[in-house]
Amino acid sequence: MTKGARRPIAGAHWLALPVLGFLALALLYPLGRIVALGLTEGFAAALADPYYRLRLAWSLAYGLGSSLLCIAVALPLAYVFRYRFPGRDFWLAFSVVPFVLPTLVVAMGFLSLVGPRGLLEVNLYGTPWILFWASLLYNLGLVLRPLVALLPKLNAPMQAARTLGASPLRAYLRVGIPLLAPALLSSGSLVFLFSFTSFGVPLLLGGPGWATLEVATYYALAQRLAFPEASALVLMQLGVTGGVLWLYLRLQVAWTVGLEGEDAPRPLVRGRALGLAIGLSGFFLLLYSPLWALLWRALERPGAWISPWQSPDFTPSLLALQNTLAFAALALLWVLPLGTLYAYAVWRGARWLDGLGLLPLMVSPVALGLGYLLVYPGLRGSVWLLIAAYTLLSYPLLTRALLPALEGLPRGVLEAARVLGAPPWRRFIRVEWPLVRPSTIAGLALALAAVMGEFGATLTLQRPEWATLSLAIYERLGRPGATPFYEAVVLAVVLMVLCTGLLLGLQKSAWAR
Amino acid sequence: MQKTSKSGWPARLSAWLVLLAVGLWPVQAQQTTLTVLTHDSWSLDKNLIARFEQESGLKLRFLKGGDAGEMLNKAILSKAAPIADVIYGFDNTLLSRALQADILQPYRSPELPNLRAELLIDHTFRATPVDYGYVALNYDREYFRGRPLPQRFADLASPEFARLLVVQNPATSSPGLAFLLATVAAFGEEGYLEFWEGLRQNGVRVVSGWSEAYYTHFTRAGGDRPLVVSYSTSPAAELYYSEARPKPTEPPTANLFLPRSSFFQVEYVGILKGTRNLRAAQRFVDWLVSRPAQENIPTQMWVYPARREARLPEVFRFAQVPPEPARLTPQQIAGNRERWIREWTQVVVQGQTAAAVKARR
Repeated sequence: MTKGARRPIAGAHWLALPVLGFLALALLYPLGRIVALGLTEGFAAALADPYYRLRLAWSLAYGLGSSLLCIAVALPLAYVFRYRFPGRDFWLAFSVVPFVLPTLVVAMGFLSLVGPRGLLEVNLYGTPWILFWASLLYNLGLVLRPLVALLPKLNAPMQAARTLGASPLRAYLRVGIPLLAPALLSSGSLVFLFSFTSFGVPLLLGGPGWATLEVATYYALAQRLAFPEASALVLMQLGVTGGVLWLYLRLQVAWTVGLEGEDAPRPLVRGRALGLAIGLSGFFLLLYSPLWALLWRALERPGAWISPWQSPDFTPSLLALQNTLAFAALALLWVLPLGTLYAYAVWRGARWLDGLGLLPLMVSPVALGLGYLLVYPGLRGSVWLLIAAYTLLSYPLLTRALLPALEGLPRGVLEAARVLGAPPWRRFIRVEWPLVRPSTIAGLALALAAVMGEFGATLTLQRPEWATLSLAIYERLGRPGATPFYEAVVLAVVLMVLCTGLLLGLQKSAWAR
Repeated sequence: MQKTSKSGWPARLSAWLVLLAVGLWPVQAQQTTLTVLTHDSWSLDKNLIARFEQESGLKLRFLKGGDAGEMLNKAILSKAAPIADVIYGFDNTLLSRALQADILQPYRSPELPNLRAELLIDHTFRATPVDYGYVALNYDREYFRGRPLPQRFADLASPEFARLLVVQNPATSSPGLAFLLATVAAFGEEGYLEFWEGLRQNGVRVVSGWSEAYYTHFTRAGGDRPLVVSYSTSPAAELYYSEARPKPTEPPTANLFLPRSSFFQVEYVGILKGTRNLRAAQRFVDWLVSRPAQENIPTQMWVYPARREARLPEVFRFAQVPPEPARLTPQQIAGNRERWIREWTQVVVQGQTAAAVKARR
């Protein structure tokens, strides 16, 4: 779709106004205060501190290492996925499921498998290996899926190069790699952003030696109430993520090449297909083994399914469950109108909004919590503070899902509705909405799952009466003894079932009709 | 028909979520509930609490907010909308942080004359002393049978005693902070970081709180560290809770009173500003320093009661008072605490050298 085909409509900017207002209050103002505080008080000291320089270096290394690792694993896998074999579609679909799993669930999975109480009795806690594994588990699908979609389309240009006399190597180097590069770079930079700013996994699995900037920010705040120091760390992080995001957007614009070609996987002889199926299933089963370990640990002690709901030492788990559901419902009230309005405004012509909408992906939840504590001290008791954070962190997920659907609307139908005299609101209800409904539900499911599993902002803004399942799990991890650990495992399974159930249920209902 | 069912789904979904959440909500009690923010080690006899609730008509809710430092930070962060009415368990090492953050309101309990005069450090009457004790090194007697014990404080950093000690992080734990202050008092501003650097090279283990150190890493609990920062009353507690039959006559652990390695600690209770139950909060404070509660405190939380005439249980024979505790003035603590914690973090957790940290002072 070209830009000329869609004339900006004056009304689009008005549609964007509520979104802008929300962004200003919930993101820009708190962030501005952090930047101001960081620049005036803490930045020079934090930069002079070798420990924080080390944290920055490690966070960069973790981000970079994660994206290289994901690419190195995804590239050969994508070549395998060109073929048809049993289980192909299942694993391809499954590879993005971990992406919506709450951090605490994944972290508990790793603790169940290779933690101090792990099934394997190999303690990887506090090593970088567990962190890289977690990153691969989370992000592999992010790199794999675009590659699988792209690879078959390379055939035609590669063949053309061969026909023109290029050797296979030369054809690959001069045609294949340049065509693959944009996809690799853009998914690689996404993996970098997610790992660089990751919080829950390094906090729970990394120990003090492998804390990321985000974890250091949280410690500065929670343990010492050092606001300027924490702000300075956030500032460092913002600098890096801002740069990478800018690069990502530039690359997307500059390098996008339209490719067309066959999509269907190639057939294989039966024996080979079976061999591939077994090999790949083995690989994925191993990659996701922390999740199986979590389930195994949860079933090991039936008593642990009862005790969390009545243990007097912790936040009542029932309250945590209610809060998780209630906050998701409250966030839904905001995410739906904001996400829809925003996608609609971008589609109707406010293109400049598109980049702005990525901003929430750039800030880290802990930084957001820190900003809210700084600028809205009077609201610290109001649950809307938490809901605002949830909304901000999750509405882009709805928008990202909705926007392509809106762009893909058949123009003829809309024109016809207009010609027949339908006013805009009627067109929206009768024509546009029914067509984009499945995408909306899918995006909303993603957003809700993100809200239910949110950890960083919840922890930073925590109040006892706001305890969610994530916090109930975290609370148990610091305690000695086996019982709290098993209770945490059970709660993690409950959270996992809640998130995946919601996701699958909603997506099913979305495409059912 | 189809249209309505389609456009109604977001409302339907949120209705379900709300319904689910509301349906699970417990029925709220009608009584006045007094919320008390405490550290994780809070404990009092359940019957005693029930009797107080009956007599006063109040419902007590105890909110465990982590270790003392973490708990206090939570109270400070939620100052504008307090999460509790009363806060118990911040100590003399954290007192100035609580007072400067201005989260407490003054209350002059009628019981004050009955409390030990030396504990009444806060002259603004915002913090009422409840109990006191000594943070001290404990050792596993079984482990040290036939092995030499450290004789001087500095011995802990010598290779002979490598990988034996577990301490708490002073940023999160009040015994950890007290122990850090003891090292400052013992080795001075110039020497304490070198001592900690030596401890780090000697393989000291740092954990976030007392219970983790004592119940996970101490050899008595199955860990691998026979030396732990705990309280001078812990050996008595070990004997009291001993399940061995026949009941041993001596505790399995003992205090290691190296000169100036133990630290005097007073725990306070205070009424949080913004409470809606001021009268009830005051009543709770009075009760906490009354004789029944005070006589229950020693065997529940293993500290000495602040009330002068409160009787000590027999087992406190084994809770010796250290001969040479380290002391710092409240002014010294208030003026330097954050810097000491920061420097300690840089040397012990972050692995910087003492010289480099001191050069940046």
